[in-house]
Amino acid sequence: MAGQEKAVDTNDADRFADGVEISEQELAHRKQFLELGDADVARLTGINDLARRYADEVIDDFYRHLMSFGDTRSFFSDPQVLRHVKSMQKEYFLRLTQGKYDLDYVQDRLRIGAIHERIRLPTKSYLGMYNFYLRAVAARLVEAFEKKPGEAWATFLSLLKLTFLDMGLAIDTYIASSERTIRAQQEAIQELPTPVLPFREGMLLVPIIGIIDAQRARQLTEQLLGSIRSNRAKMVVIDITGVQSVDTRVANHIVQTVEAARLMGARVILAGISPEVAQTMVTLGIDLGRILTVGDLQSGIERAEHMLGYVVARSRAGETAVG
Amino acid sequence: MRASILKQGNVLIASVQGSMSDADLAQMRDELVGDVRRYRSTGVIVDVTMLDVMDSFAARTLRGIAQIIKLLGATAIIVGIQPEVAFAMVQLGLTLEGIHTALDLEEGLVVLKALGTEAHER
Repeated sequence: MAGQEKAVDTNDADRFADGVEISEQELAHRKQFLELGDADVARLTGINDLARRYADEVIDDFYRHLMSFGDTRSFFSDPQVLRHVKSMQKEYFLRLTQGKYDLDYVQDRLRIGAIHERIRLPTKSYLGMYNFYLRAVAARLVEAFEKKPGEAWATFLSLLKLTFLDMGLAIDTYIASSERTIRAQQEAIQELPTPVLPFREGMLLVPIIGIIDAQRARQLTEQLLGSIRSNRAKMVVIDITGVQSVDTRVANHIVQTVEAARLMGARVILAGISPEVAQTMVTLGIDLGRILTVGDLQSGIERAEHMLGYVVARSRAGETAVG
Repeated sequence: MRASILKQGNVLIASVQGSMSDADLAQMRDELVGDVRRYRSTGVIVDVTMLDVMDSFAARTLRGIAQIIKLLGATAIIVGIQPEVAFAMVQLGLTLEGIHTALDLEEGLVVLKALGTEAHER
């Protein structure tokens, strides 16, 4: 079990390595911006004993608060998980007052941010938790420095700076993660295969779905022209029912592909141009005059079959629809 | 390198080699035109399968051949344009407008037959 957890943790740490990259310089810059200096570090380490004394109490309050809200409660429904999280949280709080806010510290914070992101804890809850913690600690500080309210206030401000450093890192992990997701999805869209399907002898069907960018258009052309040769196709039906938009470049690319196919002795029928795409093409002044276009895929296939001399007839069994 | 021109019934088949200079191409054109008259051919197939680059001169020459042959009362078909060549040609605007094309020699013969040039004279 312990081994398993370890494996997960390292995995997470790796995930950040490509997401958020904090260099020594960047850390120094962030600290500078928050005006987090040696005096703050001294003050924070000064309350380490105090923090140790109050840690359990603060954490109990903290989770009582969390458990009183439905959306946060759902994250800690398992008592075993709750116990584990509490001990982690204690460590986390204590770490705030242990000094050495270096790259290791940053890495640790990023890791924790990623864990929260992974369980999909909303940022509002995450930040809300910081807020609760700061208020709880503020009350303790006021009690502890009863005689020196100035000191309590200064220590609190130091803590505020450090927690803001933490929050910044945490938010970065959230953003990095969603950016990763967006990137992965973009790649998935780009890698959507555009199959060139032999439909009948001498006939190819190319259904295009999604976004056609320049790279995908080029790939499509290569694949289609190659398939015309290898399948000895004479008719190609390109169905663009699933294409929401085209730009000038892509439209021109389609036109060029159709012409290239003709040079290889194949005719292309373009089927399923949506009203929006049609309008765009006209507005952009793209000349599809020489291209055979039909309304939908069915018409495209029928036209292609007709041109190849196929006669499709329904059998008697089909007419009566008896299996 | 010179193009080889073969006579097959009423059809002339010219194979363009991979390395033909502009002069070679022009010579092929002249020979084809002469042969169409001499043999009273009804169809001409120009096979460019071996050609991996088509420049504007070559495209213009092919186009010229097709037009001249049409004036002589025969039909010309360009066959065997490779996928990469086809796309490169289109990008250069060399679309061989109004000229018959077919995938390869075999298809070219089928197209000629369909156009009735072979049946015409037997």
